[in-house]
Amino acid sequence: MHWVVAVPMALLALSCVYPVFFTVNNALKDNKGYILNRFGIVQDPSVQNFVDAWGRAHLGEYLFNSVTVTLGAVVLLLLTSSLAGFALAMLRFPFRRVLFIVILASLMIPVQVVLVPFYRTMMGLGLINTRFGLILAYTAFFLPFCVYLMTAFYSRLPREMVEAARMDGATLLQIWWNIMLPMGRPALLTLGILNTLYCWNDVLISLLVLQKERTVMVGIAALRGEYTTNVPLLCAGIALAAAPIILLYIFFQRQIVDGIAVGAVKG
Amino acid sequence: MSQIVLNNLSKRFAGVEVLHEVSLSIEKGEFTVFVGPSGCGKSTLLRCIAGLEEITSGTLDIGGTRMNDVDPAARGLAMVFQSYALYPHMTVAQNMSFGLRMAHRPKAEIDAKVAKAARILQLQPLLDRKPAALSGGQRQRVAIGRAIVRDPDVFLFDEPLSNLDAELRVQTRVEIAKLHQTLGNTIIYVTHDQTEAMTLADKIVVLRAGRIEQVGTPMHLYDDPDNAFVAGFIGSPRMNFLAANVTATGLQLGQVTAPLPALATTLAVGQQMQLGIRPEHLDQTDGVRLPVTVEVVEHLGATAFVHCRLDSGETLVAEQRETAARPGARLDLHFDIARARLFGTDGARVR
Repeated sequence: MHWVVAVPMALLALSCVYPVFFTVNNALKDNKGYILNRFGIVQDPSVQNFVDAWGRAHLGEYLFNSVTVTLGAVVLLLLTSSLAGFALAMLRFPFRRVLFIVILASLMIPVQVVLVPFYRTMMGLGLINTRFGLILAYTAFFLPFCVYLMTAFYSRLPREMVEAARMDGATLLQIWWNIMLPMGRPALLTLGILNTLYCWNDVLISLLVLQKERTVMVGIAALRGEYTTNVPLLCAGIALAAAPIILLYIFFQRQIVDGIAVGAVKG
Repeated sequence: MSQIVLNNLSKRFAGVEVLHEVSLSIEKGEFTVFVGPSGCGKSTLLRCIAGLEEITSGTLDIGGTRMNDVDPAARGLAMVFQSYALYPHMTVAQNMSFGLRMAHRPKAEIDAKVAKAARILQLQPLLDRKPAALSGGQRQRVAIGRAIVRDPDVFLFDEPLSNLDAELRVQTRVEIAKLHQTLGNTIIYVTHDQTEAMTLADKIVVLRAGRIEQVGTPMHLYDDPDNAFVAGFIGSPRMNFLAANVTATGLQLGQVTAPLPALATTLAVGQQMQLGIRPEHLDQTDGVRLPVTVEVVEHLGATAFVHCRLDSGETLVAEQRETAARPGARLDLHFDIARARLFGTDGARVR
């Protein structure tokens, strides 16, 4: 009976692992080696493609941009969504429900629909070609979902905890920092991981905001030529771009699995 | 001067009035218990005093100062919540010191106060544990400890024992009573359990549907209830109520005629009344005789609750020290009419 499960699962795992193998394998070939033998295992491995990608194709700089922007956006997202979730779940103020519904509704607007007004706004604010502008853009686009998740998560915590802190003399900000932020850890972890992936992998928004400089995903996209593509170089770029995310996954594997479970139950 | 004075305090939630012009004064050092069935507004009243609910109308004075709009933390109160509301990510010591840390007290003072509270509540070995690693009774003590370190003028307890098992509840109840004797602070305590109210209170406030029914010492409420609700609520098992008809010779209780108790009010012949008899007063050998059929006997060891049915179909419970009653058997119960209480059909006491 276990074959029924094992075989499809093995195929599924293979379908995930093979592209990684293909990328790394070809990144180690030169262009000629690739053309002569696309699918075979590399004969004469060389790191020249990585050196070229890092230097000549500027992926080193782009990686730095990506790290800054992703880190900035994720930190900003977690702080603001936790604050908003705290307010929406625990505090009573006029139009709370309406506000929450508006935030929920904004979840349904695809990014593409607002690209033009978004671009004009960024222009007007002088945020085009700044990393800060991209951080703000990511925060704006991904915030509704984060607020929704944090509100749902905090709604399940006992309100008495907040009341106890009020009796203890804590201000709202102190309650948020000392109680809600640490209590929100499982949900914040989930959001941290999800948003890191979104920001890191984004091409569209990044392409619009950062036009002179680039993030790594845009840089990789630019490695594809109109007529010819240096596939081993592209593979090396992809491997470089994927490396931080894979490292992140290896470090936080347990928390990622826990975090997804939290999202599944509480989302 | 009274420490806490409520004057015509009302509370409305979205148009529904849950507290109706409650007026009450609580003396310094007094242990006051708000008691009543669920939904009677006792917790809401406590939360209004705590500042967790806004007062719709009326005034709240604490220590002679109007406190209606004062921040909860500035009212000189500490509260123990039903769920304890401990901060799960902090250790016991951090939980207890949270309020003092928020007030930016010096570290030495914080440590001394936490150590003192831990000593009083025997929490020293648990100071470095997280709440998840504590038993229910221990969490309860931490919640009390968190209130003690703030040195409040008034402690507020919101059904603090309802999450504990029966044995621990009795034990913690005694601890709270001792704590009150040691610290001498004013305590306001909310419960739906009349036993807790009777055993702990200096003063009981009985609430029903957002109104105060009666205020008094436990024995005053037990002996001299203002109405059938208070009479029924205070005392366990609850008071028996029998339909009574005033006749020229006395009170007609089914086939039995009882003499009229001494009253200041003159009753009209034919008037319908309710006669309240406490189960523990049905353990006599003389007085008014009530022939009954025994239905169930609950033996508690020292006493037994004998559930009976009168020939009129009314049921009553007698508490007897020594009983040979068996289910199905006929039994004669006796009571002293002077210990029975008379109520009108509207529930108001007739004295």
